[in-house]
Amino acid sequence: MKAALDEAATQLGQLKDADRAYSIAYSVLDHRALNIQGSHGAFAGMVPEHYRSVDVDVRVGSLDLDSTHKIRDESYFSGTSRPHWLVGFEGGADPLRRLLLRATDDAYRGALARLLKVRSNEAVKVEREDDSADYSIAPAQKRMDVPPDLVIDRAAWQEVTRAASAVYLEYPEVYDSAVQLVVTEDDRWLVNNEGTEVRDGRRHLRVATWAETVAEDGMALSVYDYVDVASVAHLPDAARIEAMVRQVAARTVALRNAPIIEPWNGPAILRGRAAGVFFHEIFGHRIEGHRQKDEDEGQTFTHRVGQAILPAFLSVVDDPTVERLANEDLNGHYVLDDEGVAAERVSLVERGVLRNFLMSRAPVEGFPKSNGHGRRQAGNFIVPRQGNLMVQAEGVIPYAELRKRLVAELGKQKKPWGLVFDDISGGFTFTGRSTPNSFVVQPVTVWRVFADGRPDQLVRGVDLIGTPLTTFGRILAAGGDVEVFNGVCGAESGWVPVSASSPSLLVQEVEVQRREKGNDRPPLSSPPVGTK
Amino acid sequence: MILLVAAALAAEVAPASAALQAALEGELARATVLKLPDAPAPWLVIFDALDGTVHEAGAEDGALYRSQHAPFRNLRVEVRVGDATVDSSNYSGFGEPDGIQSRRLPVEDGQVALRREAWLAADAAYKNAVETLSRKLAGRKGLKEAPPPDYQVLPPLVRPAGPHPGNAWSAPEVDDLARRLSAAASVDGVESAQAEVRDWHGWRLRLDSTGSRVWAATGNVVVRVEAVVRRDDGSEVRDARWWIGRDARSLPDAAAMESEARALATSLLETAAAPTPKPWLGPVIFEGEAAAELFSQLLAPELVGTRPEETAPGSFFAPGATPMARIGRRLLPEGWSAWDDPSTRTGAAGEYEIDHEGVAPRRVDTVVDGVVRDVLMSRLPSKERAASTGHGRALGNDRRGALPGFVRVTAPRMITDAAMRKRAMKLARSVGQEQVLVVRRLTPAAMVQSLEVSVSGEAPMAGLTAPYEACLLQVDGSCVPARNLRFVGVDRRLLRDIVAAAPGAGRIDMLDGPPGPSRYTIGTTGGVPTSWDVPSVLVSEVELDPADGGEPRVLRIGRAGAR
Repeated sequence: MKAALDEAATQLGQLKDADRAYSIAYSVLDHRALNIQGSHGAFAGMVPEHYRSVDVDVRVGSLDLDSTHKIRDESYFSGTSRPHWLVGFEGGADPLRRLLLRATDDAYRGALARLLKVRSNEAVKVEREDDSADYSIAPAQKRMDVPPDLVIDRAAWQEVTRAASAVYLEYPEVYDSAVQLVVTEDDRWLVNNEGTEVRDGRRHLRVATWAETVAEDGMALSVYDYVDVASVAHLPDAARIEAMVRQVAARTVALRNAPIIEPWNGPAILRGRAAGVFFHEIFGHRIEGHRQKDEDEGQTFTHRVGQAILPAFLSVVDDPTVERLANEDLNGHYVLDDEGVAAERVSLVERGVLRNFLMSRAPVEGFPKSNGHGRRQAGNFIVPRQGNLMVQAEGVIPYAELRKRLVAELGKQKKPWGLVFDDISGGFTFTGRSTPNSFVVQPVTVWRVFADGRPDQLVRGVDLIGTPLTTFGRILAAGGDVEVFNGVCGAESGWVPVSASSPSLLVQEVEVQRREKGNDRPPLSSPPVGTK
Repeated sequence: MILLVAAALAAEVAPASAALQAALEGELARATVLKLPDAPAPWLVIFDALDGTVHEAGAEDGALYRSQHAPFRNLRVEVRVGDATVDSSNYSGFGEPDGIQSRRLPVEDGQVALRREAWLAADAAYKNAVETLSRKLAGRKGLKEAPPPDYQVLPPLVRPAGPHPGNAWSAPEVDDLARRLSAAASVDGVESAQAEVRDWHGWRLRLDSTGSRVWAATGNVVVRVEAVVRRDDGSEVRDARWWIGRDARSLPDAAAMESEARALATSLLETAAAPTPKPWLGPVIFEGEAAAELFSQLLAPELVGTRPEETAPGSFFAPGATPMARIGRRLLPEGWSAWDDPSTRTGAAGEYEIDHEGVAPRRVDTVVDGVVRDVLMSRLPSKERAASTGHGRALGNDRRGALPGFVRVTAPRMITDAAMRKRAMKLARSVGQEQVLVVRRLTPAAMVQSLEVSVSGEAPMAGLTAPYEACLLQVDGSCVPARNLRFVGVDRRLLRDIVAAAPGAGRIDMLDGPPGPSRYTIGTTGGVPTSWDVPSVLVSEVELDPADGGEPRVLRIGRAGAR
């Protein structure tokens, strides 16, 4: 890679053209994955995957204005396409060298053409609100840290997933289900013309299980649970997996029989994982640096640096350097981002006051440098993304106390019941100006807590909705518990692994809407039975 | 290479799974009695299972970029409500459910696990079928004439699993072949050379509620090598070689394929050095593989008697009500004939014993004296034909329709290749040309780089995929490579302009899909195997335009040691 980059840089440097490539970066990802799955007590299959993809980023122009600059009001169909290159995962250096040179050539010519459009767009349009540069200097990194390959006993895991999947057969109301182990080994090479030379990697394992059923009213219900770890040693054992399966099965059946609740607003507790996703969606995406200078974005927080946006007892950091929290491996851990910049702990909100944004090497006004959050899925452009988003609270109270506060709040608001969002499957948000700046958090497990002391009741059929500023202003208290949500987040630069952690939060008022539901009747005949 | 073949012959396919059949039998019985209140019960339930192993590898310049080897089990469940005259099948709701469900099956023989998948698929298929029938009946209101029946009922067929060819390559052999072939075509001047190898072998098991129980060995091997040269002016020139067969024995050995891959690179470099292409209007000779591809692309749709799916009245996408094939239509010059017979035993990829609907194929004399006299049929009757000819096949889980199997095309009079060239030159001179375009290879439909054949914007439709390899025949008998040409406005009528035939290249095996746009998107190694045996032909007048273009490279990209 280094030889190819030097060769490309030398050749491009000799061009007479005034618009030379001032930045060239190569990234190669060697991706290996293995999915071992059991379903209904049988080995469903083992699917291996291996590919090596290449990303070439060439910038033409200058730091101040280059070929990556946003073209305002650009037609959707004129957007810059980004070729996806696959290269052999074996063999000598020359095939890779030649592919990199071809990709560089394509990228350079593409960048040259785009810069032409950028310049005319700048001439035609009004002055930009944020005239910060397009790129910033970052120190070169040298790093060689390839994690060892994971050693998986495939036969043993075949048996574990098979046996665990058989547990679902004890639950006739669970119609479809599976248990799987997904092993991912990513090795990464990164070089650029500033001297960065990196070879590192990421190891990730997920033991997951899901169960599906259909309620009598046609609502399709699915419960998913998983454990994400970074090493084989942290994998759950067969007993724990069986327990996980039993819990998912029981929860699925309980949900099937749970009542549906109507659209409602009132006080609620978001347990740790739910609160983590809640912050990821309504806060995390809005403090990604590129959204602060993009005039198509809602820019909820762009001009609120130094102002209070959260209650004073809350702080938020994003710290990809943290490997574990609350006894869990964090999915958003990395050392260097995809631009080769060292990941930094970024203090985003300090005691309620907004202080910083997540930054790649593309500056925004007042934030000229990267803090190591430039990320992408291979094949995409790099933008700032979350890593490990952590909500931290002062003056926390035990969860039991938080629950009492919820009941007290019900009394204040004269509401017969409130909600506890226990577990969620994910969520999404809109950050642009052309759509309402709302968010949706999709819970799996929601409990109704009664003001009169009746036992909590599992309910179904609602999504948590809202808008960011209003919702932030209504957080009343935080619990002493911290839970971690590990997942992958999809946005402009593809899917990247993230985590979001938070204590449980009491919110004065949330709103729920009816969830989209299926309309199919449950299966007409009983499921096939047996043990084999 | 001897090693490769020996190993291939030694490789085995797992025996037909009695456990798989037992599990599906159990659920088939339960599916036939599914019943929603106030809705009809199924009149026909069909379970189609595929059980085998897929080996796939892709390599560029001698290095693997893809290598996947895994057992594969899939179940397709079709539930029909109504009766054989009018049922829920053959109706397209554009994304709405259609009574067909497919699910991956566990790769091991757990009874409950297999039955669970079948149970879920059958339940969903039945519910969808009930809705589909009502939509179909609603769409038929106001029709003056009742369409033909929806299914040909046949006595149940029971066919136990026979011996399997057992010739699958092993995973390392598939990987190694991809490496070797891509390396062979990767010479200095070739920008990229890729090879794709796929070996799929296994069993097809079809059970239906009429009592049919059919096991059939299935599978094929596909090898493709493609190379690209980028000229200094930026235009790309590409060519490929491919081999398709039922098993490894029907393919050349690896050394021969390597040799062909090297020849591909050599001829491609010669073609790339050809001068800028000019528009062509004049006689064209289609020889060898190009002739087979010509007939496959232009003739095959005219032989298929499957009627289009019904749609909602007024639907934007509504196809015509009649099959593309018209009995009585002239397709070829007088004296020409075409017939399809997949039941022969010559080792052709397009031969088979039982089609995907459990029917044994028979010979169909489709074109007699240049005119369509009979058509290929599945079990979906048409106005003209009520019975299947055993040609009901499909890509994956798609609707079963008639597809060509092994088509032979014959001319009333064959002349020698030399005589055909002489005649072509005479024709050329009569229109003021001093050359004749000879097309040796057309891009297979599956490998087109864009959907230009289906959608070409402002320009007239090409109608035929672009030549991979062509040359301009000179008066002195030499043939100068021609590059980057595309056809203009070709359709079936081109076949009527055939003025001479010479011995062809013998049987050509290929992969294809049903007529329509999906034919061009089946991928480099997918598709239904078909075979064509056709003569080389001279067409009196064909129009082609240059398809040059592209931006020159800025960087010099030589091979290490060759710079």
